[in-house]
Amino acid sequence: MLNINCLKLRRTIGIKQLHNQKKMKAGIGFRKEFAEEFLSGSAIHPGFVELAPENWMNIGGYWKRQLKQLAEMHSITSHGLSLSIGSPEELDMKFLKNIKQFLTDYDIEIYSEHLSFSKCDNAHLYDLLPIPFREDAIKHVAQRIRQVQDYLGRQIAIENVSYYTPVAAEMDEATFISAIVEEAGCKMLLDVNNVFVNAFNHNYNAKEFIGNLPLDKIQYIHMAGHTKVADDLIIDTHGEAIIDPVYELFEWTLERVEPVPVLLERDFNIPELNELQRELSSLEVIMNKKWETNNVIENRNI
Amino acid sequence: MLLKTETYNQQNKFVEYCRNGKEISILGAVPERLPHYRRLVFNGFKDALETTFPIAFQYIDSKIWDEMVYTFFSSHKCSDPQVWRMPNEFVDFCEAENYGEKFTLPFLNDLLRFEWMEVEVYMMEDIEYPANISTTILLQSKIAVNPEHKIIKLEYPVHMEKPFDAVDKKGNYFLLLFREKETGRVQFSNLSILFAFLIENISAEEKTLEEILNDILYLFGINDLKMLQTKVFKFLDELKARGFVLGSLKI
Repeated sequence: MLNINCLKLRRTIGIKQLHNQKKMKAGIGFRKEFAEEFLSGSAIHPGFVELAPENWMNIGGYWKRQLKQLAEMHSITSHGLSLSIGSPEELDMKFLKNIKQFLTDYDIEIYSEHLSFSKCDNAHLYDLLPIPFREDAIKHVAQRIRQVQDYLGRQIAIENVSYYTPVAAEMDEATFISAIVEEAGCKMLLDVNNVFVNAFNHNYNAKEFIGNLPLDKIQYIHMAGHTKVADDLIIDTHGEAIIDPVYELFEWTLERVEPVPVLLERDFNIPELNELQRELSSLEVIMNKKWETNNVIENRNI
Repeated sequence: MLLKTETYNQQNKFVEYCRNGKEISILGAVPERLPHYRRLVFNGFKDALETTFPIAFQYIDSKIWDEMVYTFFSSHKCSDPQVWRMPNEFVDFCEAENYGEKFTLPFLNDLLRFEWMEVEVYMMEDIEYPANISTTILLQSKIAVNPEHKIIKLEYPVHMEKPFDAVDKKGNYFLLLFREKETGRVQFSNLSILFAFLIENISAEEKTLEEILNDILYLFGINDLKMLQTKVFKFLDELKARGFVLGSLKI
């Protein structure tokens, strides 16, 4: 059994350290591919780890033991895949009940999800599809987020997703995201790489886009690599190292956002852990440089 | 619902395109970028199924495999939010579509079920082990076994033979799968129908070993109790050495 008291004590230290510790540390998305080496504890030293609850809840055996070991070593944040907040149909309350239990079992403070849909007409597609940027979709999604928050008894954070084509859009993405965050009363997970990808794919200015988001609502930041598949198209693969222009956008963003947890995502083409540690260190250098003097620029100055 | 029908229709058309690729018109969409979504979504299914069913993927003709996967992807509405459980729906789908007969793969249902069951037992939620156990196997006691197990019945011995070698060996096969407590690995044990009956009755924890053996004598028309006891104890000892049989339940 997990030592819950120890866990809670360490958790309290864990996430709050992100704000208070002298040297801020970035987190990493935990993958089964590197679980064993990761849990040996010598190759990589993240500040926290992130899990997709769908891959870890309602399981037992080997992977549950690995999860318990992970929870004893690190603070955990969770980033969902299948809530499908943008679906037309009703929320899956059985699924949400399992999520709630998972968050409780592992004392997880942050639960984030994608501002997208992965299920329609009661069929899961297990991928992130863009919601139409429309007024009625804002009302619909905001109402669903409120329903989730009421059920979970906490605010959730929604993530700006990468998308390759708009679907029936009637407004710009930043307006859509901002309106949902406002109406739902939720937090935001800002994925800086997704902003970069979308700005490239849809020819807009990434900084201007970020400047138009509700930066005071950002609870969490994601960073990742991507793959350029054509002269005019980038796919958000999480399969490469972060490139310099995304680091630059990250640095620019941190000047405008209060200190929050920062996570490195790497889901495919996973390198040696010391390579991932180098990426974490690069993020941490920027976080500490930008946030140690608390020199966050007021949003209005963007 | 706060979502207008028009918005719902656009989302639905987009999803339908991802699944079946039929040409559609979606407001404001960039047509040449739509195939990327279709490719990404399909690859998610394809990869998950190839990973879950490595034997079927290896031995079934690739055109047939692709057709099965694609038809499932394009026509089945997956209901499970956890993608690792999706292959279980593929097993049911292939059975319902009668693919074994359609593609002349009589072993197909068994092979897919067998491969899925290994995943299911490996991943299944922990079940509490029985307490108060004596490590000796006693005839007058109920027998305790590892609760993290399943028994499946197969018509073809896909757990012992390459799939196409199993075709002419149709029969009644019983397979015990259980999860090792220490390592989490899945172990397999081929069972005769008599031992499958024995294990199922032991697992039910309703009768002592002696009562179960008496049932076996009657049901299987066996006259030699001593011979039966000798064989059963040998079998249970073997399963005990492998970590499946735990001992006897103390009253």
